[in-house]
Amino acid sequence: MADIALITGGGNGIGRAVALKFATEGIAVVVADWEADAAEKTCAEIRINGADAEAVRVDVRRAGEVKDAVARVLDRRGTIDILANIAGGSFYRKRLEELSWAEWKEVLDINLKGTFLFCRETAPAMIRQKRGRIINTASNYGVTGSALRTPYSAAKAGVIGFSKSLALELASDGVLVNVVAPGPTDTPRVMEGWDPEARQKRAAEIPLGRNGTPEDIAEAFYFLSSPASAQITGQTLHVNGGWVMP
Amino acid sequence: MTPMRLKGKSAVVTGGAQGIGRAIVLGLAREATNIAVADLQRDKAEEVAAEARNFGVTAIAVQTDVASEESVANLARQALGRFERVDILVNDAGIFPQARVTEITEEIWDRVLDVNLGGNFLCCRAFVPSMRAQKSGRIISIASGIAHTGAVAGAHYAASKAGIVGFIKALAREVGPDGVTANAVCPNIIDTELPRSHRTPAELHERLVRNPLGYAMQPEDLVGTVLFLASDAASYITGQAVNVNCGTVMI
Ligand SMILES: NC(=O)c1ccc[n+]([C@@H]2O[C@H](COP(=O)([O-])OP(=O)(O)OC[C@H]3O[C@@H](n4cnc5c(N)ncnc54)[C@H](O)[C@@H]3O)[C@@H](O)[C@H]2O)c1
Ligand SMILES: NC(=O)c1ccc[n+]([C@@H]2O[C@H](COP(=O)([O-])OP(=O)(O)OC[C@H]3O[C@@H](n4cnc5c(N)ncnc54)[C@H](O)[C@@H]3O)[C@@H](O)[C@H]2O)c1
Repeated sequence: MADIALITGGGNGIGRAVALKFATEGIAVVVADWEADAAEKTCAEIRINGADAEAVRVDVRRAGEVKDAVARVLDRRGTIDILANIAGGSFYRKRLEELSWAEWKEVLDINLKGTFLFCRETAPAMIRQKRGRIINTASNYGVTGSALRTPYSAAKAGVIGFSKSLALELASDGVLVNVVAPGPTDTPRVMEGWDPEARQKRAAEIPLGRNGTPEDIAEAFYFLSSPASAQITGQTLHVNGGWVMP
Repeated sequence: MTPMRLKGKSAVVTGGAQGIGRAIVLGLAREATNIAVADLQRDKAEEVAAEARNFGVTAIAVQTDVASEESVANLARQALGRFERVDILVNDAGIFPQARVTEITEEIWDRVLDVNLGGNFLCCRAFVPSMRAQKSGRIISIASGIAHTGAVAGAHYAASKAGIVGFIKALAREVGPDGVTANAVCPNIIDTELPRSHRTPAELHERLVRNPLGYAMQPEDLVGTVLFLASDAASYITGQAVNVNCGTVMI
């Protein structure tokens, strides 16, 4: 039986690349995203190659929606072996004093609360089968900080702390919990917002001389879902071309 | 799993005669990588090279003291002479003679730093020029969780292993523009001669399983991470210290 992976944020960017990578490795994927069309598009790409994929519409911030989405997947598929929490983003570049409470909540909820909710709903199935991999998404900014991204840095640092505690909690159940921290990654959404000159400048600051691709990041997610990493838990794998070396 | 695409590449593994290094040699051989096994212990290195050849690869043993400039220069001549290019350098050779700070003699201090950290410097210095010239290369150094936590009777060892992590980060910045990556792997305790030499079997077992996963790590358990870091899949990862330790240390 193929492993079953649930990937939040799988409609675009890094999540989409992770879904495609997992599918080529023979993993059945459930693509969860609030952009239903994007999730469906990722699944269609996967099905062209004969692999197994289904889309689920969900807003990761809403406890009820997350609970229902996971329950429906468990109903149909029996279990979830791999959970990749990728839905997220920084959304605002604003000084602290200009941030509204609603904006703060939005960034914290999508990046951190969404990760908590999906872990909470999925962990019981993994505990039951004494096997599972959870891979959450941080960012180098969760470690270094970044001016104008206070809520995002707080949320991503929170993801790292949360994941360490969960790793300790689930270790005796055979469930491993790790974090991938991407560096600057050329996803379509990021590319839209960048002027080419700034991108060049950034690339020049990176030891490997280029921004990351969604595929670079997807390889790290696959590694942390595979038998090759069976003794790794509670760790953060930074994939950033050497831009940040914590 | 799709193969790691390491077929036909060449690697040098220091400390490859036993323990973790031997497991890495055999893991690479299984992926069809040619290997030079570099170790102080000539006969054991020969035996491991012979085991590697069973996988159909070219494997040579080169008796090497990684703390000696002449010896490492000889290693580079032999390996580059035989394979023409070295794609992967694994710095595994290491020693851990336990001693409290007040009991560490200058000889012990120098030897631990020279082998564990100096060996990294000499081997990287020997193989980086050819990696730069070919615009690709992977350097993987076995450090230790003790780099982060320290250990009683291990101040010299902790200094050398933390030194490796710092060295690898600086090196990653220097060689990155040439397409070469440098990373460290930090295990906690693994069942080899190294911890066996200063523990009773019962003590060792208790220490091995004292981690969140309750699992006693074997040398083979580092192979997956080393192969990943050596492969194209990790081409955007550099300057990192990857902890493979059953959750003992989380940073
Ligand atoms: N791209 C980068 O440079 C970069 C760097 C570091 C970290 N990251 C992190 O990687 C992850 C993916 O980023 P990306 O660049 O691929 O972003 P993206 O915007 O391209 O994709 C994010 C996906 O998440 C979905 N999503 C957002 N909010 C959601 C919600 N409330 N419910 C359900 N789905 C939701 C979006 O619809 C989208 O499909 C994020 O966690 C991001 O913070 C990205
Ligand atoms: N076993 C553990 O618990 C553990 C934990 C963390 C890190 N490590 C590290 O992993 C590496 C391998 O350790 P191991 O447990 O396999 O130890 P080991 O003692 O079984 O093997 C070490 C090998 O290195 C060789 N060596 C020693 N000095 C050398 C020199 N000057 N030149 C060339 N070769 C030399 C030895 O001959 C031996 O074959 C070491 O760097 C060690 O510090 C081990």
